[in-house]
Amino acid sequence: MNINPKIDKKDSLTISEYIKNFARKHSLFVLAYGTGCGAIEIPPTMTSRYDAERFGIRGAATPRQADVLLITGYLATKTLKRVIRVYEQMQDPKYVIGFGSCTINGGMYWDSYNTINSLDKYIPVDVFINGCMPRPEAVISGFVKLQEYIQEGKADGWLKYQNNIEEYRANQKRVIKNWRMPDYNW
Amino acid sequence: MSEHIKEKETLEAITTAFEKVNGVVQRDKRIIVRTEAETIPGVLLYAKERLKYNHFSHMSCVDWIEDKQFELVYILWSPEDKIQLIIKCRINRENPIMQNIDNIWRQANTYEREIREMYGIEFEGLVGAKEFILEDWEDMPPMRRDFDTKEYSNDHFFDRPGREDAKDVRTEITERSGEEIPDFAKKYTRD
Amino acid sequence: MDWSLILGIIITIITAFTVGMFYGGISRKVTARIQNRVGPPIWQNFLDVLKLYSKESAIHHGWMQHLGPLWAITASTATLMFVPILNNGQFYENLNFSGDLIFLIYMMVLGQLGMALGAGQTGNPNSAIGVSRGLSQMVGYKVPWLLALVAIMIQFKVTSITGILELQNEIGWLMFASPFAFIAGLLAFIGMMHYAPFDIVFAPSELASGPPSEFGGKYLGLMMTSGAIFTFAKLVLFVDIFLGGASNILELLLKTFVIYMIPVLYGIVSPRYRTEQSIRYFWGWPTFFGVIGMLYAWYMIA
Ligand code: SF4
Repeated sequence: MNINPKIDKKDSLTISEYIKNFARKHSLFVLAYGTGCGAIEIPPTMTSRYDAERFGIRGAATPRQADVLLITGYLATKTLKRVIRVYEQMQDPKYVIGFGSCTINGGMYWDSYNTINSLDKYIPVDVFINGCMPRPEAVISGFVKLQEYIQEGKADGWLKYQNNIEEYRANQKRVIKNWRMPDYNW
Repeated sequence: MSEHIKEKETLEAITTAFEKVNGVVQRDKRIIVRTEAETIPGVLLYAKERLKYNHFSHMSCVDWIEDKQFELVYILWSPEDKIQLIIKCRINRENPIMQNIDNIWRQANTYEREIREMYGIEFEGLVGAKEFILEDWEDMPPMRRDFDTKEYSNDHFFDRPGREDAKDVRTEITERSGEEIPDFAKKYTRD
Repeated sequence: MDWSLILGIIITIITAFTVGMFYGGISRKVTARIQNRVGPPIWQNFLDVLKLYSKESAIHHGWMQHLGPLWAITASTATLMFVPILNNGQFYENLNFSGDLIFLIYMMVLGQLGMALGAGQTGNPNSAIGVSRGLSQMVGYKVPWLLALVAIMIQFKVTSITGILELQNEIGWLMFASPFAFIAGLLAFIGMMHYAPFDIVFAPSELASGPPSEFGGKYLGLMMTSGAIFTFAKLVLFVDIFLGGASNILELLLKTFVIYMIPVLYGIVSPRYRTEQSIRYFWGWPTFFGVIGMLYAWYMIA
């Protein structure tokens, strides 16, 4: 099953879009979904040594307030369910950063019975940061890349998700067999 | 202290109290006892009440697929003597049923539930014998050695191309150190 | 129709919003510098609010949840309207003469009440805990705050803020004329600003930000706006009562900034209290000074 973006790309941004994107780019509230081992790199990224707050990146406490969902590493099928719920509770526009090679192709858990292999089949991912595990410099460079995409209006994973919801749902239901999830009115 | 006086005393006490129990002092502060499945609760209770092995450290399971058996391993610890007592028993792999020991140590319940889910061993009268760690699992218990995790992963998850140039470094390592890859591990290759 | 009244309201709100936002940014910068970080730019809070307003908000838990943030911002702007920004009526008067201290005491609770109702309806357990903590803490700091204000009212027989400002033209700052009430008021004020160690309501790590935990997007933006305006209103009120008001904007900024930095700096070096510790704190020394302030006032009139 392939996910094709069905979005008509515009060539230029209007002024209001430019201002909005500028604000969005410089104010990223991050919800770190730290179940993978990569989560250990988040504290140094946020604190004095690397100080992500100078880019306007700051932690959010709940999915409702967050803009960026940072998935730090492997996802078991069980945690994938929670990730989907968290992602659907976030308010548009929302972005996802896949962090570590586990989110890209399964990493060292590529043949495990219990961890998914490619995250972008289940929820749209805007930026991947590779490495096992990526250092804080790499994390910050990933965020800067995301900021570039947002400014150019290319970080449109949330639109992709809305437009291709059936395909994403089909992929998700392949892993989560017993689908007992609430519907969020996003 | 190479005589292991305390260890030998303990082993002596257990072997005289029960039939069909044999054991060795494996090394300093470690005793291994093998017995039958029926005597397990008796040995555990005896060790707990009489010999003061009152800390239940761990319980695990080994799949001896070649012998068609499961081995259950109970690890106790005596805070007084600082000795580790390992009690092992084997049960049939075809229809694995084991006695429940969570009335001796409450915390054994968690281990038993995990082993039940991961190896499919039923414990008689286990409290909370339902879905525990795995959610919505429909396949064979995944820690059994005849469960092919690679195949399951291929069937259920999406592989991303790009791993083709990955090498199986185990051959190199075994050649370098002059060992052999065991038979059961040979099927997990990259090609 | 009096256009200057409307103009005054708009300008007052814009001033309050800007100053409150910049103060928030400065506090973030100061925190960062103390932690040896570079920190965000001081206009970061404007970007945050702009972004929050540009988000889509599709959260529905019931109509009180939609009204909660509106209620909060209404209450904080209303509070602002009754506080004279500069003394001698040099700034727009808005509604300065209609209210007095007793009325303001009620008005300042209203915003929190709206938030509590709104957060209560979201059904999030963190919100409920946050609300109950907030209301208990309010019971804590309201006691010294009321004692301080009542001491002043008794001592000078005046309840209107403009009256207090005029009074201070004659006898100097109330901070010196009624020192114990000032100490009690200041300690209560530290709690009112909700910085650490009194941030038990919004504790992000244990309560997932408490009452606003189900509010995202525009609702959160409204709350931040209301918070900025309310911060400014509280600061100006404090300066008006104890520090003799201000005769121009620069003086106002200077005085409010000094007062604002007290809770911020105290907060950076403090861990968080638990709820009962916080209440016990407010019912300890601050209340003691409040009572002393009352006795002092009684002694001064006798
Ligand atoms: S990519 Fe590496 S560090 Fe990250 S979760 Fe996977 S195994 Fe852990």
